[in-house]
Amino acid sequence: MDILASFGQGLLVVLQPENLMYCFIGVFLGTFIGVLPGIGSMAAIALILPLTFYLDPTPALVMIAAVFYGAEYGGSTASILMNLPGTPAASITAIEGYPLAKKGRAGVALFSTAMASFGGGMIGLVVIIVLSPSLAKLALSFGPADYFSVILLGLVAASAVSNSGALKGIAIMVTGLMLGTIGIDLTTGVLRFTMGIPELRDGVHIVIVAMGLFGVSELIASIRANIGGKATQTIDYNDFYPSKQEWKSLFAPILRGGTIGSFFGALPGTGQTIAAAIAYAVEKRVSPQREKFGTGVLPGVAVPEAANNSATQTAFIPTLTLGVPGSPPMAIVIGALMIYGITPGPRLLVEQPDMFWGLVASFLVGNIMLLILNVPLIGLWVRLLKIPYKYMYPTIIVLVCMGVYSLNNNVFDIWLTLVIGAVGYIMRLFRFEPAPLLLGFVLGPLMEEQLRRSMLLSRGDPMVFLERPISATLIAVTAGILIFALYTTELNRRRARAARNKIQQEITTK
Amino acid sequence: MKINLNRLTILSTCLAILALVLAPAAIAAPGAWSSEPVRIVVTFPPGGTSDLVARLLAQHLDADFGQKAVVDNRPGAAGTVAADYVSRQAPDGTTLILSNNAPFTISPTRFKSIPYKPLAGFSHIAYIGASAPGLFVKPATGINTLKEYVIHVKNSPMTYGSSGVGSISHILGEAVDAAVGVKSIHVPYKGSSPAIQDFRAGVLDSFYDMVVQNSDMIEDKEAVAIAIASPERNPEVPGVPTFREQGYDIVIENWVGISGPAGIKPDMVNKIHDTVLAVFASPKVQARLTELGITHTAMSTQEYTSLVADLIDVWAPLIRSAGIAE
Repeated sequence: MDILASFGQGLLVVLQPENLMYCFIGVFLGTFIGVLPGIGSMAAIALILPLTFYLDPTPALVMIAAVFYGAEYGGSTASILMNLPGTPAASITAIEGYPLAKKGRAGVALFSTAMASFGGGMIGLVVIIVLSPSLAKLALSFGPADYFSVILLGLVAASAVSNSGALKGIAIMVTGLMLGTIGIDLTTGVLRFTMGIPELRDGVHIVIVAMGLFGVSELIASIRANIGGKATQTIDYNDFYPSKQEWKSLFAPILRGGTIGSFFGALPGTGQTIAAAIAYAVEKRVSPQREKFGTGVLPGVAVPEAANNSATQTAFIPTLTLGVPGSPPMAIVIGALMIYGITPGPRLLVEQPDMFWGLVASFLVGNIMLLILNVPLIGLWVRLLKIPYKYMYPTIIVLVCMGVYSLNNNVFDIWLTLVIGAVGYIMRLFRFEPAPLLLGFVLGPLMEEQLRRSMLLSRGDPMVFLERPISATLIAVTAGILIFALYTTELNRRRARAARNKIQQEITTK
Repeated sequence: MKINLNRLTILSTCLAILALVLAPAAIAAPGAWSSEPVRIVVTFPPGGTSDLVARLLAQHLDADFGQKAVVDNRPGAAGTVAADYVSRQAPDGTTLILSNNAPFTISPTRFKSIPYKPLAGFSHIAYIGASAPGLFVKPATGINTLKEYVIHVKNSPMTYGSSGVGSISHILGEAVDAAVGVKSIHVPYKGSSPAIQDFRAGVLDSFYDMVVQNSDMIEDKEAVAIAIASPERNPEVPGVPTFREQGYDIVIENWVGISGPAGIKPDMVNKIHDTVLAVFASPKVQARLTELGITHTAMSTQEYTSLVADLIDVWAPLIRSAGIAE
């Protein structure tokens, strides 16, 4: 059992006091930032990034990962207690979680969330341990054409299943692609779409787009919605543990959620939000309690949490073995690794085994820490959420500005974040989901790079994408997903039209 | 085509003699020159070679001479962001820049306009050292010498990977192409490690990168180092011949030095120069530089200033022939 031995080696790495400490700091800060409304895991990682420059790569990566899943975890607390998702993925948790809290069962909901997160995390962990080495081996022979096709698959899959429908999703993803072309062109060195602004020569930083699109626009929306001070639920610690029957009803959903989450997490680009949404949609169809969904049922809380936590972890598979970010925050992880002169890719497992397996083992340790940390700390997070928004929002804006400024020590970046935030708010008003935009922005430049490299190497012959077996398979799968998504969109539209006609007919006959 | 960076050696020797004759009094004792902490601006993000050199210098300025110093990374737009910033700071010795090719010898030719003057806008104070790139090919090609390489590429052009458009490895690739008289297929990457990854996956026939940093690959026979672009062989990789000894006069090096905004008083310039050189005179610090692939050379302020001036002229045709000038 080679893999188990490697994992054991990783455990030894992560159990060193230094790594344990950074894992703990990461989990704690991540949960803290995740609880705050409006800024999610992306912002949390961006804020923590400058601190990691002074660490060795392994503790740095352990801490960044801990912040990431800590934030996803913290996001669910706010969404259950106040219907105020701290992270986009947690909005799915709010669908069942908030009604539960209103029924006075917030304690049970939070506890189930913790268990589901842990369960999902463990499923994701097993998938990483089993899948990564073989994927890395396969990827050793990956050429630029194969990378291009992997990214194309991720982009199409993620935007086609977005909540706003396939067409809207793809349109907004393409907008992200265009945003990603700003800056010096990699292949020719020509400046594109910089409009003479020197700060745009290197393109727009991903943290700026993410903070603007999710952080700032979320804050504007919250101010307009004028919600606040609703966290009056008190947690009854006597009603914390689910009953025996409830326990049983949670087991299958966690398993299903964790499995679905692992799959979508491992797909390049599709992140926790999509994983949680799909897992919830599936559960709504297969659950024995499906009629009660929407009114506050425990499995409805457990499923998205299990899915988003396992996806958070499996997102590291393509990130570390291919160098293709599994979700937008993973792009920052790749950036952080590059700073240490480590290029994520198939050789990372061979060249940095301690780092890779240490990181994987830290998922286990970090999840246990989250479990131990968060049950007693829920009271603290609730109190944090009771801070009046007139103090909270300015503080968050300051945090966002600090995070953005720390990237390049440049004030221009702060202005750009605010502009993108305003655009993101307008997008919200027209019901365009921002997630595919960020995805196009992150993966687009990478896809273009591999596309043009393939064409250079094939001396301009586009058949290279169909001649290589890996690439050809991926392109076929992509085409299948695209056709299916457009078909179901059209089907839904026809159904809606038919239903409308029927209602109209009934009205006229009456 | 003959590329000769070495007329500047002659020039600088003359200048050095002149300096020795004219200004024997201009030698200051190394030591702190400012009571305030000095910021060393780096044109790259943390973690790269330049950044490590700056951190090494900052650490030893403080430890050995009591001069507090911090590193300030201001990456962006091929080093022009940092250079523009430094040129606008007060010339009091508290803001310095770790000068290198990007903002001073490449960007002035590459961009139509830059917001600073590479010579008049700066005091180029102290040269630190340089590292040299070289040409690597796949062992499977059976090529071992530059001569064999030239014969091969004249029959069928090769693909080569570089660390990006306008990077020193790309410019060396263009210089070799021009000297040999072929047109190779340039495949740019974001930095050298993804290029090396594709080279190992068998995607690329050859690549250009720093030679000392890749000595592992040479030893493991994963790549054949055909030639190094330094004036002489590097003792760290004694088995790699230079371009020059194989009949192609190509010398292209990645250098680093210390500069500040124009107008720093001559006394202070001398003090900074002597202190920086004193830091790098220590064998321990030099050993660390060697690990980073940088060969240290001591130069006077005048020599360094004329080196920068010379390099702008030497690099200009290379950048134009690489097709990356705006």
